[in-house]
Amino acid sequence: MSDARLAVAQTRFALRGYARDTSALVFTALFPVILLLLFNAIFKGNTKFDGRDVPSGAYYTASIISYVITLVSFASLLNRITTARERGLLKRFRGTPMPSWVYLVSEIGRTVVVVYATVALIVAVGAIFYHVHLSGHLLEGLVVYVALGVCCFCSLALALSGVCKTADSASAIGPLAATILSFLSGVFIPTFLMPTWLIDIGKVFPLEHAAQGLQSAFLIDGSTGINAINTGVLLAWAVVALVVASRNFRWEARGPGVN
Amino acid sequence: MAAVVEVEQLRKSYGQVERLHGISFEVQAGEILGFLGVNGAGKTTTIEILEGYRPRDGGRVSVLGTDPAKATREWRNRIGLVLQECELDPVYTVRETLTMFARYFERPTDVAATIGAVGLHEKGDERIGRLSGGQKRRLDVALGLVGDPEVLFLDEPTTGLDPVARREMWSMIEGLRSAGKTIFLTTHYMDEAEHLADRIIILRAGLIAAQGTAEELNATLGYHTEITFESSPGFDVARLRGVLGSDVQLEGSVVRLKTNRVQDDLTVLLEWAKVERVELGKLQAIRPSLDDVFVKLAEETPASVQGSPRE
Repeated sequence: MSDARLAVAQTRFALRGYARDTSALVFTALFPVILLLLFNAIFKGNTKFDGRDVPSGAYYTASIISYVITLVSFASLLNRITTARERGLLKRFRGTPMPSWVYLVSEIGRTVVVVYATVALIVAVGAIFYHVHLSGHLLEGLVVYVALGVCCFCSLALALSGVCKTADSASAIGPLAATILSFLSGVFIPTFLMPTWLIDIGKVFPLEHAAQGLQSAFLIDGSTGINAINTGVLLAWAVVALVVASRNFRWEARGPGVN
Repeated sequence: MAAVVEVEQLRKSYGQVERLHGISFEVQAGEILGFLGVNGAGKTTTIEILEGYRPRDGGRVSVLGTDPAKATREWRNRIGLVLQECELDPVYTVRETLTMFARYFERPTDVAATIGAVGLHEKGDERIGRLSGGQKRRLDVALGLVGDPEVLFLDEPTTGLDPVARREMWSMIEGLRSAGKTIFLTTHYMDEAEHLADRIIILRAGLIAAQGTAEELNATLGYHTEITFESSPGFDVARLRGVLGSDVQLEGSVVRLKTNRVQDDLTVLLEWAKVERVELGKLQAIRPSLDDVFVKLAEETPASVQGSPRE
């Protein structure tokens, strides 16, 4: 079996495991849908984006998509990697002839499939319940920002897995970071309600740029939302995270010498 | 027979602490080597160096003619691992997990046959989360075998198993012996090494304390059969020493004699007791088990490592 086919087989294996893992399904798929329904029930009607009145339904559809990206490609991937490491699985894989990259590619492949499937679900809910019109510009921006967001947040998960010593700490840090960043980035609460200094802090982090790009694509007629600042910040974070990950990634839970 | 594993003067330190002080040994093709030691003796450090997980600080190591520190993919195709701690994903079945692992190897064995070889025929389609501890451990062994390795590293395969599961694991490993596999087995149970291994190496504080077959260890370690009895009031140890020699010890009311000539010494003792009208309470002659030998050996501090830093 060629390595490329092995990577595909390993990805399918990981996806089969995901489909059987009820808590992962609830956490990564059902939870965002519930959030979308809740936000729309609370903030009915219109909200403001970029100084204009915009429909809340489209606003929160775009926002929850950016939340899904962080939840699945950051929190969930970080949890999977640290758990597999703690169980000794990463070490076990290292002891087989399978190249290390095949494992990493399969985990990222699994994440990409789960993110796109969940995003499709959110978009469907938005189109059916909140009259989101799926124009060509919107879909173009959607594809680009989901791809960039997945790259960026998967890299961050790989980088942070080296910092988190245990799966326990990872399962706290992942959702915590996703939630705090969501509040800083105008994902849960529109930015016109936020103080400027808080918005400025949010702009340092990648989620604000994924969210802002997606919201532009969903809310501004004829716009894809793709711009140099948003794509640049997401790519810059991805590159920095990959450099950190390549230096810090660990295959074993405990340091040597403890036996 | 060719040596599958060759180790010469292997040294390994963690920080300032030297864990392996230069050990040398070989494992021959088709042999089961029992690598025995208490926790902290350096067993896992050694096996992880042989498996290619850890770099060494000194000495020469060769496994199947390759230095494990320069492990290649081809080499990994020829070795099988059963790690001490590996908790497989509970959502998959036995067969799914084994089928996936088989894909990593160039020349895998038949998955169904491997499931049978480890005695999990009836559990092939069971989720791993529903297996018992012993069954999970046997699946670990199946994962080590699925690449059809030339040498199998088994790191404490029965630690934490109940006595029944342990026996089942033993008979499975015996099955591997008849299949001619070369096996490097670490354990902290002497009875396990005695039962399974062709040859035993006892590792103590990073040095080889003894090695040989179970019989050789028994003979060379020089632990004698011990005759003991409880003395009655008025017992005079000096009179008994008169017939049995000065090796007779008196500890409290217990009289001890270590001897290699059990039958002769017992005859002398019994005749002396009859003539002297001495009652020998709780008389016994006990041959130490290899387990006792191991425990004694493990407790002794070897002179050569005294003063070296230990954590």
